[in-house]
Amino acid sequence: MSKKQVTLECICALLILLFLYASISKFLDFKTFIDQMNNQPLPNSWTPFLVWSIPLLEIAISITLLFEYTRLLGLYASLVLMVIFTLYTGIVLLHFFHYIPCSCGGVIRNLTWSQHLTLNLFYIAILVLGIILQHQQRKSFKPNYINNKHSLV
Amino acid sequence: MNKIKWTILTFAILFSIGSAFATRPRANFGSLYYWTGSGYALAGTEGMNYVCETSSNVCTYTYSGGVYTPYQTSSNYTPLGITAEPTKPAPKTEKK
Repeated sequence: MSKKQVTLECICALLILLFLYASISKFLDFKTFIDQMNNQPLPNSWTPFLVWSIPLLEIAISITLLFEYTRLLGLYASLVLMVIFTLYTGIVLLHFFHYIPCSCGGVIRNLTWSQHLTLNLFYIAILVLGIILQHQQRKSFKPNYINNKHSLV
Repeated sequence: MNKIKWTILTFAILFSIGSAFATRPRANFGSLYYWTGSGYALAGTEGMNYVCETSSNVCTYTYSGGVYTPYQTSSNYTPLGITAEPTKPAPKTEKK
């Protein structure tokens, strides 16, 4: 296993760690999660949709990151999700809303919004690296049936 | 290769599940309270009656055995609907 492959596996492991931890924490304390979602400066009518879609999406992305065939899709989906989270954090920090909500949730409740932003940017950076490595791996990957096509005849 | 891959990924899965269970809230809090300045009052429903704004204060407390324990820290209790400064009442005019 090359260094690049190990790096890619570690990136996927870090993403699974984040998404799976975040989603399970939300389901384990679902009432608090609903309250926290209501606390966000978003319309409360969005809450029933968001409280289910966010953790389920995080679990779905974690599953796609496990398997080779769906990994690239998972990496792109993670990037989109992290960019959305980061934009939201940036908007909150820029005082776009009429108040700054508390960033409480799971063990991440101890982080301030600035620390949230730093964490998100770190994840975006490793995601970009992961996508590049995954593309390189796909290019160098030659399926067995190509090498063995003569044996099929 | 597959062995190393699945070792790393299995560790990530187990660690995330274990961490989520280890850091979940242990107690089931019935009600949350906030400090009014002179005493504690029921906070109501978050997002409906109040929001916790980022600050160095404590937004809500839990109550158990006569003790109020900080619940949502690093935030400030802000009742919804009365965040703006109250307007001054118009001065009374005397009828002659």
